[in-house]
Amino acid sequence: MKKYITLFHINWQNSLQYRFSLIVYIFGYSLYIGVLLYLWSAIYSEGQTVGNYTLSELTTYYLLQLMINSVIFSYVSWDVIENIKDGYFSNFLIKPIDYYFYWFTVNLSGKILEGLFIIIAVGIISIFFRGHLTFPGTSAALIYFLISVILGIVLSFEMDFCVGMITFWLTQVRTFKFMLQTIILFFAGAMLPLDLFPDFLVRISDFLPFRYLVYFPVSIYLGKINNPWPSFAILIVWILVFYGISRVLLLRGIKRYEAVGI
Amino acid sequence: MKQLAYNIFRKIKRYLHLYRVFLSQNLKEDMIYRSNFITLAVMDIGFVSVSVILFKIIFTHVTSIAGWTFHQSVILIGSVGIIREMAYLTFRRGFLELGNHIRKGTFDTFMVRPMAPNIHLAFRHISISESFGEAITGVVLVIYGILHLNNWTWVSIPLYIIFLLNSLFVYYGFSLLINSIVFWVIKTQELNTIVYFFMETSRYPGDIYRGVGKFIFTFIIPIGIIATVPASVLTGRTSWSSALIALFVGISFLTTGILVWRKSIEHYSSASG
Amino acid sequence: MSTSIQVKNLSKTYEYFKKEAGLTGSLKSLFWREKLYNEALKGISFKIDEGELIGFLGPNGAGKTTTLKILSGILYPTSGEAVVLGYVPWKRSPEYQRQFSIVMGQKNQLWWDLPAQESFQLNKEIYEIDTKTYRNNLDELIELFEIKDILDIPVRKLSMGQRMKCELSAALLHSPRVLFLDEPTIGLDIISQEKIRHYLSEYNKIKKTTVLLTSHYMRDVERLCGRVIVINNGIIVYDGSVQDLMNTYGKHKIIRLRFSKEYTENGLAKYGEILERDGLCVVLKTGKEDIAASTARILNELPVEDLSVEEIEIEEVIKKIFTG
Repeated sequence: MKKYITLFHINWQNSLQYRFSLIVYIFGYSLYIGVLLYLWSAIYSEGQTVGNYTLSELTTYYLLQLMINSVIFSYVSWDVIENIKDGYFSNFLIKPIDYYFYWFTVNLSGKILEGLFIIIAVGIISIFFRGHLTFPGTSAALIYFLISVILGIVLSFEMDFCVGMITFWLTQVRTFKFMLQTIILFFAGAMLPLDLFPDFLVRISDFLPFRYLVYFPVSIYLGKINNPWPSFAILIVWILVFYGISRVLLLRGIKRYEAVGI
Repeated sequence: MKQLAYNIFRKIKRYLHLYRVFLSQNLKEDMIYRSNFITLAVMDIGFVSVSVILFKIIFTHVTSIAGWTFHQSVILIGSVGIIREMAYLTFRRGFLELGNHIRKGTFDTFMVRPMAPNIHLAFRHISISESFGEAITGVVLVIYGILHLNNWTWVSIPLYIIFLLNSLFVYYGFSLLINSIVFWVIKTQELNTIVYFFMETSRYPGDIYRGVGKFIFTFIIPIGIIATVPASVLTGRTSWSSALIALFVGISFLTTGILVWRKSIEHYSSASG
Repeated sequence: MSTSIQVKNLSKTYEYFKKEAGLTGSLKSLFWREKLYNEALKGISFKIDEGELIGFLGPNGAGKTTTLKILSGILYPTSGEAVVLGYVPWKRSPEYQRQFSIVMGQKNQLWWDLPAQESFQLNKEIYEIDTKTYRNNLDELIELFEIKDILDIPVRKLSMGQRMKCELSAALLHSPRVLFLDEPTIGLDIISQEKIRHYLSEYNKIKKTTVLLTSHYMRDVERLCGRVIVINNGIIVYDGSVQDLMNTYGKHKIIRLRFSKEYTENGLAKYGEILERDGLCVVLKTGKEDIAASTARILNELPVEDLSVEEIEIEEVIKKIFTG
């Protein structure tokens, strides 16, 4: 356990070196969200409404999405892909450290650091839109929201780890990841709230795990889901399923790596 | 005066000639790695489709966005694709490679040749494949949009092209300004993430911005102009004032971009080894 | 003979940030970083005539490369003046750029994936060389550098030596009046090094091009240059003929010995001056002229397991220049 705590620390230091990229990224993404907020304001100012969302609910939705994109979404697979491709992976085969938990720790430590940055960024943007923000009606909603965020971090990491594992089999994995990322963001509700989608798309998204990354936590926050326990149960099942898949892919990947090399 | 005009003419002629020579070298280089050409194209088409689908979904709930109908919005999305390909055919990939050149010190080469370093950098990395898919979809979307307009004339086509070029100047000026930071804060390859978001967000109509936002997104981060003005020209929505403002922004971004860039490369501290 | 390069009080100071260790250090550097300065050049002055082939000698980080980069307009100096062929280099006027070239041993200027021929063709257009001159120059260079057979091979597949020959050819196509060479023989094997030196001296003889060459190999300079400028810590410590430098400082060689068994007798001094002695290993210094005699005697008379003869390192020479 101690080695993972040390790793956690070292990764923090390492990430701080890249603070400029982080600031750049946050700036870019905030710009994107800012534009979307203007888009919705324009639509509502013309007297139109979108689904059963009020303007402040939509504004809050996108600000939370901005936060979630940093706090929940895992991007370690870029490093995992790099790591396997350049053969650095061999070092892990000979060290007494678990590859899955190694990246789990790296991801978690990165997420907490990014979270601090993003909360500052969201805070600043909120000042501009302070008239248009919604807060959870009950303290229970806030607690449920936090639980869903924590579970989201785990699920997102597992899925991302699986994507990284594909490197063992697929050479064009970066292209694949780009496409998959867009699909995930789409069905997670990162671009538009899922209940605005046409029926058939909503039904597809119900069967996919991605909705638990954005749409689900934000809906809890907005008080649109009163009893989240059934969904929590399904979410935990997904987490277990992806843990299993991660482990199987890692085991088979190592076998393949040892047999043919990459 | 006549002499000046002649010099400018000669300079343009020389750079057009160099463009042709560099283009053929880049093509030869591309041939070696042509395998990902199709993958890139398919990916681009996928990304553009997602944008269209999102707009389509929004338009199932509303009839217009700040006065733009669905078909007009499709022209917006298409225009972004065309501008992006124009940028890849000129300067975009050069900026993506700039970080590497600085880190490895190979930017030296651009400093010693009898060619402006920014133009040399651009021509060194002309790329056809990078957003080819997006350009094709772009053209298709614009044509599709036009076919659904009723107040459209042939005259608007050349005007559309002129304003696309103007937007390319805005894009280039903005890229120069952002990338000038490289010479002050070394170790930053993520600067072009900003430029990426810049183009991503430019597919929303500029008419949505109000108050301070209107000012910022017209004069400072001109995403309200890039695609909006050319598309407005084509759909007959534009006013003389907004067209003039766009030209003003185009010229000022291009000139300040070049000036700031020139000043910044004085700070280039060539890495050794 | 006219002056080609004139440098007066040239200084260059690099700025960089202090890197703090530990997590608190990293956190602190988020908000505040200490600025540090590195004076790479501390006011150097020299003058080079047209057609001279000059060696710029010094250890790594002495300021050689910085000087070349300032003279070719890559870097702006912090203060001081420089005029090359009547131009101020860092104004980077195209007229100046058409008249000089710089080749850096560690940086590739050719298109990596294409044959060298393609890069030559591109340089023809960039430097606006007319077709006839281009053909003539190219033929000449192909003959001089013996690169006829490698022109159609992608640059990435060439050996280091072959690549350097192509780099040089590319740089000479427009017949520059001044040529800057930064460590042109670095990383090459001994034979390729010799060849590059041979080509350079030939080219300088035929074309009367002013050549300024940096190196940390004594051999490069000894072989090629009439005059040498030695630089250390951003200061010129010697400027004069190679002959004088070699006569004064280069007339010794170093002998490294390893004994097969402990050798404790004190008779070693008769073979040369003892520089170091550490257990079984000894470093001796001896005159250049009696190196053969000394090694023969050592091999005969002492229980030697291993013996090697080396040139005095440039660092040694500089140390000597400093201490007088």
